[in-house]
Amino acid sequence: MSSISFSAVGLVYPGGTTGLADIDLEVADGEFLALVGPSGSGKTTLLRTLAGFLAPTSGTVRIGEQVVADGARSTPPEHRRLGMVFQQHAIWPHWSVGRNVEYPLRLAGAPRRERAERVHEVLELVGLAGLERRDPATLSGGQRQRVALARALAARPRLLLLDEALSALDEPLRDRLRLELRALTTSMGLTVLHVTHDRAEALALADRVAVLDGGRLQQVGTPEELVRRPWSAFVARFLSDATVLPGVRDGRGFTADRHPCRVPAEALSDEPGGTGRGSLAVLPEDVELLSAAGSDRSEVGIVASSLFGRDASDVVVTWHGLDVRCRTRGPRPSVGDAVRVGVRRAVFYAEAAQAPEGVAAPVAGALA
Amino acid sequence: MSSSADALAQGPATSGALRGPRRGAPDGVLGLRLALWLVCAAVILVPLAVIVAMGLSADRLVLLLEGDVLEAGRNSLVSALLSAVGAVAVGTALALLVERTDLRGRGALRLLALSPLLVPPFVGAIAWIGLAGPASTVNRAWSEATGGPLWVVYGGDGVVFLLVVHSFPIAYLVVAATLRRIPSDLEQAARTSGAGPWRTVRDVTLPLLRPAALSAFTLVAVSNLADFGIPSIVGLPEGYVTLSTLVYRYLQSGTVEAPLEVVATIGVVLLALAVLGVLVDVLASRSRWQLEASATAPAPVSLGRLRGLASVVTWVLVAAVTLLPLWALATQALLPAPGVPLTWANLTLDSLTRAVTAPTTVTGLTNSLWLSALAGVLCAVLGLAIGTLVTRTRSRDNPALRAVAMLPQAIPGLVIAVGWLVLAPRVGLFNTPWLILGAYVTAFVALVVQTVVAPLSATPLTAEEAARVAGASPLRAFLDVSWRMALPAAVTGGFLVVLTAVRELTLSALLLSPGSQTLGVAIFNLQQAGAYNAASALALLVALVGLAGARLAVRQPS
Repeated sequence: MSSISFSAVGLVYPGGTTGLADIDLEVADGEFLALVGPSGSGKTTLLRTLAGFLAPTSGTVRIGEQVVADGARSTPPEHRRLGMVFQQHAIWPHWSVGRNVEYPLRLAGAPRRERAERVHEVLELVGLAGLERRDPATLSGGQRQRVALARALAARPRLLLLDEALSALDEPLRDRLRLELRALTTSMGLTVLHVTHDRAEALALADRVAVLDGGRLQQVGTPEELVRRPWSAFVARFLSDATVLPGVRDGRGFTADRHPCRVPAEALSDEPGGTGRGSLAVLPEDVELLSAAGSDRSEVGIVASSLFGRDASDVVVTWHGLDVRCRTRGPRPSVGDAVRVGVRRAVFYAEAAQAPEGVAAPVAGALA
Repeated sequence: MSSSADALAQGPATSGALRGPRRGAPDGVLGLRLALWLVCAAVILVPLAVIVAMGLSADRLVLLLEGDVLEAGRNSLVSALLSAVGAVAVGTALALLVERTDLRGRGALRLLALSPLLVPPFVGAIAWIGLAGPASTVNRAWSEATGGPLWVVYGGDGVVFLLVVHSFPIAYLVVAATLRRIPSDLEQAARTSGAGPWRTVRDVTLPLLRPAALSAFTLVAVSNLADFGIPSIVGLPEGYVTLSTLVYRYLQSGTVEAPLEVVATIGVVLLALAVLGVLVDVLASRSRWQLEASATAPAPVSLGRLRGLASVVTWVLVAAVTLLPLWALATQALLPAPGVPLTWANLTLDSLTRAVTAPTTVTGLTNSLWLSALAGVLCAVLGLAIGTLVTRTRSRDNPALRAVAMLPQAIPGLVIAVGWLVLAPRVGLFNTPWLILGAYVTAFVALVVQTVVAPLSATPLTAEEAARVAGASPLRAFLDVSWRMALPAAVTGGFLVVLTAVRELTLSALLLSPGSQTLGVAIFNLQQAGAYNAASALALLVALVGLAGARLAVRQPS
């Protein structure tokens, strides 16, 4: 078990594309950290940098006290003592289950007796006791992923890296494995870095979640912090489907650019504050749909889609060219209904303090 | 609205009755299927059947134990097996280096390494005689210094060496195709488990390549078993006789009585060996595991400090076996006689013009051009029909039809030629060039079927189902959708057939009849007659045309 530390890590690909920029991130011993972000955000790049498949071009990566990469040299993956689970399980098809799980122990030079015991032990741990001699081809997808997990744990790694490890599984199974994985890593006190594109999974599993975009860390925090107090309009939109509008804030409130949306000062959150140009993020929970009767035409939107949800319906209203995402309880509106959009609460991010990219286009991002 | 609906409903045989053929009733596609089976039987199964019938009924199996045949058989078998081992070893090593490491100039190296595929083996043999024959510059210089030549390409070792040079690109292609399908995850999982790059290759990559290597081995061994060009040009001068050169001698010089029956018996033995090869391949593929698509592109393994050295060594070796022979061919073509020193004053285009304008060359070139063009068209049409039928329709006999069409690829060309020779008098084709055309179609239709099948089997059948839903009959859907999709591949395949046939020697040498000599035979005869420089000149042209033509073929989408 070990902590992880990235300091000022940057990675530029030979073609000149930026993979990572200014990554500063500490993961404590025994912590479960999830990395999320849109595709191309650098989350997999960060994980592969830690695994040793990519070498950062600047900055330092430490596992425990050991510097594993410092921009000039990089310890190869085989010397980092990691366990890693891949999206497509990556079970070696030419070996039996037992041989697969045993391989890291064999490379570590463990004697035969000890290897057999440990294989038995980890297979039991992942719920596959006694399957040592099976051909991996005869296993189901979920079983193969368990074998992959057993293999990753076999040599008592310092860290466990999960690269979309659950994404290839179907829903009910994924749910169950998610629970088991969390229980297992907690009881073993493992430090885990988990890359996923599934926001709900990241929020549900992790002690802390790191949001990446464009190779930069956007925010790191507990699931509660990320959902309650997103640092930028991007994080609010990415994690919570917030509707984002560009505009200006002054003493009286927020005025959107080329859009009838106005939000009075009292509905704006105190944090992070600031005035001037910037972006407004409205969480779906903070949008209310009111009767259109008697309201001004500029305030009325048309329901574009209305999906049933267990505790609240997921409704998209097209309001003056802007798609507003909202979660409403109570009666579900029908597509084509005219409604008035009210904003109960919103967060304003002044231009200087917000994420550099990806927040300027409200319409494009609202449904992402 | 109602009037147009009425008009639509006034087709024949409507008014509520269920329309369409009854279950199992013939439709257009079935007709096509029957026709294809007939054609396949005629050009593939019958020639093979007659050779088996004659070979076994003639009761000449004892002949096989005679000194000549036994020795030739042993030479064939040993050279085929050794060259297959060599080709797979070289092809696999090269595939690993080029596809999985950061070797310098990998793209160019790949093209260079594949170029021997475009040079017919007999042309390669002529080129290597210029390079390592007894009268070559290297060997003469070495003899002057030490009293003996460095290495003469004549003899068994030369045959094996040249077979390796000409077949390692095939092994490379087969192995590299599998290598690209191995998910990089499997290798990365080994790295995180603590294996270094070399250990990963040994423990994970190579075992996963084993089925492909075995498959390449049988493919190469079977095709080398009866290669004619290399052993006849390089083996015979030292009395190294293989089955193909023995058969050629029997057929040309009539040293045995009833040569056709003897040759048919030898053909049966070769056929049996080929079937054995196919069986080995099938058994091996049964244990083949499904490799799932990779999530991430494989990152090339860094060779580290060895990178520069490995790059130089690989480049030098590959260039030596690909570019040097072409250079030798060029100098031979431009010099008036073998052994004349290479100086600017001695260079002449005489051999080239003489070779190109000689009447035998002109006949050979004309024959080769029209024969291969016809073969290309026939194979393209037949291959298109078979390839689409077996991939785009559902029928129980699809695997069988496909297997029959692909069968000749696993059979030495010698057997096909002998089959047509045995068949010829019975169908009135004896001593005509049509015989060669028939053999070309038998031997090369598999090329088109293969190019057509590969892209088509990746497309889901819903394409045709959509056409059916849109109102097309089964035959119409087949012609409008399946054929259209397959057409570019079939054109590429046909082009490959032309390229292969125009430079072909084995079939046309054995099926030679008066007035039907091909380009390959013309070059071969020049070489046998001692006109080395003229032979080299023509061979150079063939090699260059092959290299240029392949560029065109590669550009075609396939």
